[in-house]
Amino acid sequence: MKYAIEAENLGKCYTLRGLGPQTLFGSIRRAVTRQTPQLFWAIRNADFKIPKGSTIGVVGPNGAGKSSTLGLAAGTITPTEGCIRAEGRISSLLELGAGFHPDLTGRENVYLNAALLGIPREDIRKRFDAILDFSGLHEFIDQPVKNYSSGMYVRLGFAVATEVDPDILLVDEVLAVGDISFQLKCLDRIRQFQKKGKTLMFVSHALQTVEEFCDEAFLIYKGDLVKKGPPPDVILEMIRNYSGEGGTIYAQEFGTREVEITDVKFINPRGEEAIRFDSGSSLTIQIDYEAHQEIEQPVFGYSLKTANGMYLYGTNTQIENAAERTLPKGPGQQKIRLDPLLLREGNYFLSLSIHSWDHVTQFHRREDWYPFAVRNTNDAPGMVTLPTIFEG
Amino acid sequence: MRSLIARRELIQALVSREMKARYKGSSLGVLWSVLTPLFMAGIYAFFFRLISGRAANTSSIIVGVFAWQFTANSIQQGLGCVSNNGNLVKKVAFPRVILPISVTMAAGIDYLISLGVQLGVVGVLLWRAGDFFTLHLVALPLLFLLHAWFNLGLAMLLGSMNVYYRDTQHLVGVALSALFFMSPAMYDLSFVRTLAGDMNPWLMKLYSLNPLAGIFTAYRWAFLPGAQFPQDPWLLAGMAWPLLFTLLAGGIFRRAQRNFADFI
Repeated sequence: MKYAIEAENLGKCYTLRGLGPQTLFGSIRRAVTRQTPQLFWAIRNADFKIPKGSTIGVVGPNGAGKSSTLGLAAGTITPTEGCIRAEGRISSLLELGAGFHPDLTGRENVYLNAALLGIPREDIRKRFDAILDFSGLHEFIDQPVKNYSSGMYVRLGFAVATEVDPDILLVDEVLAVGDISFQLKCLDRIRQFQKKGKTLMFVSHALQTVEEFCDEAFLIYKGDLVKKGPPPDVILEMIRNYSGEGGTIYAQEFGTREVEITDVKFINPRGEEAIRFDSGSSLTIQIDYEAHQEIEQPVFGYSLKTANGMYLYGTNTQIENAAERTLPKGPGQQKIRLDPLLLREGNYFLSLSIHSWDHVTQFHRREDWYPFAVRNTNDAPGMVTLPTIFEG
Repeated sequence: MRSLIARRELIQALVSREMKARYKGSSLGVLWSVLTPLFMAGIYAFFFRLISGRAANTSSIIVGVFAWQFTANSIQQGLGCVSNNGNLVKKVAFPRVILPISVTMAAGIDYLISLGVQLGVVGVLLWRAGDFFTLHLVALPLLFLLHAWFNLGLAMLLGSMNVYYRDTQHLVGVALSALFFMSPAMYDLSFVRTLAGDMNPWLMKLYSLNPLAGIFTAYRWAFLPGAQFPQDPWLLAGMAWPLLFTLLAGGIFRRAQRNFADFI
């Protein structure tokens, strides 16, 4: 068989029974009153085949069903309908350090965790020093893990879990743990897995990582596997159609809508629509709007935040002394060009706003609505490029 | 079954986690697995004498209470063996039946340790009365296996029930103390026989169907030279049905485990 994981008409249904665990009284009452339980499909009608040796990224907004899909593949949850088959030894990193016992020491937990993941004790004994080096917890290994910081906890968890030599590795959002150097070590481990021809399936919100590592991406939205394909296409689809509409956590929209933003495109220097831009090149934001009535002296503005919400910069046509104008009724276009793009590698959110000259009326504002990514073209670290000249 | 053998290292690791975690941080450590039942036996011996007014046979109480402790531990640990390991069940795929097996084994190891102490203490008590163990002791391993098998069934049944109905843990708290008085732990079978015989002959038969009645009586028969094992078909039936019960409980557990991750 050349497929590592095959799913046919896969579905997982949860019964919503209010808060808390089921009670005896509750189920008797339901049986007597024949109340039909409310159903929630975490994932439904999913068909996919994952070839051996490929890397699949699963993306989608929060609560879309990504983790359920991974849980089904790992076998921790049982499908309600359809089936999923996996060929080969599976190791799942659904949560790092799952099964660590707080009272046991790091060393004891390493052996316990290894047993849970099905690694022979003898292998771990041989590889113990390597695990210790990878986790970097030399002084603390004989301390109870309840005294560990959360970062130390996951580092130890990752170090053990990647010592397994599985055929299939399932990873759920665990790559983004620890500090930068540990993240790099983790990504390096992932590359080694790929080189060895292992199959990888991982859930991530780090779209860059998905684009960089995956052969194929799955987009899941509200329990539907809506798109499969090359990662850049899937990610663009996700950002354009699913991330905006309430998908991302902070995104919000408000305004009187006398002028309405109808479409927004990100254009790269070659004139193509894109979501990733090279640092130092240019980024053009093309805004299509529709004025439902004549608007005098509107102000177009934008602002940028980093993926973790830090406000980077914002300006508008008023501040920049752009020519004042009156919008006629009907559609129109406004372009904002950032040239050169001084942001450095990372994910960013763009907010757009059209408001009145005196700031009293907000016509249409989309807050943190548009995500995009920037990629570095040289090795300089940092968040922004500061134009620099070395002399001497 | 084959997967269980393949995962024996996991069973071993979970049993040692259970044992280590229980006594971690206490200065007397594993000694508690002996001290607890010893204290219990002392308390019961004292009050039994106080209430019934007749001299209690201390050895008999030690045998009964130590054995009871094994069942009580298995039930208490088994109850939460799935529901307290939510993280494990949700995030790691492994044969779930390992959970009740490992708590029963941990309780069993505790019991084996306390059996060693029991041999010493009862041996000394017998020696002071000018007596000694009989050959009946050879039945001990078989008896232990039957007892552990029954406890495993209870752990599997209650452990899976508690995932679906959290009421189980409260019910079991009550049922456990009822079961203690309905089992010949701090008294022996002859005590019930005289009590029940006066009321209704069926009462005694019903009582004998409690597997612990037969098992505890058999332990006494194995340890104490004077103890008898009555040739009572009801008592034997009580010891036989757990053989099937645990298989049934295993079946229930297997069916229930499909949805463990959804209910925890």
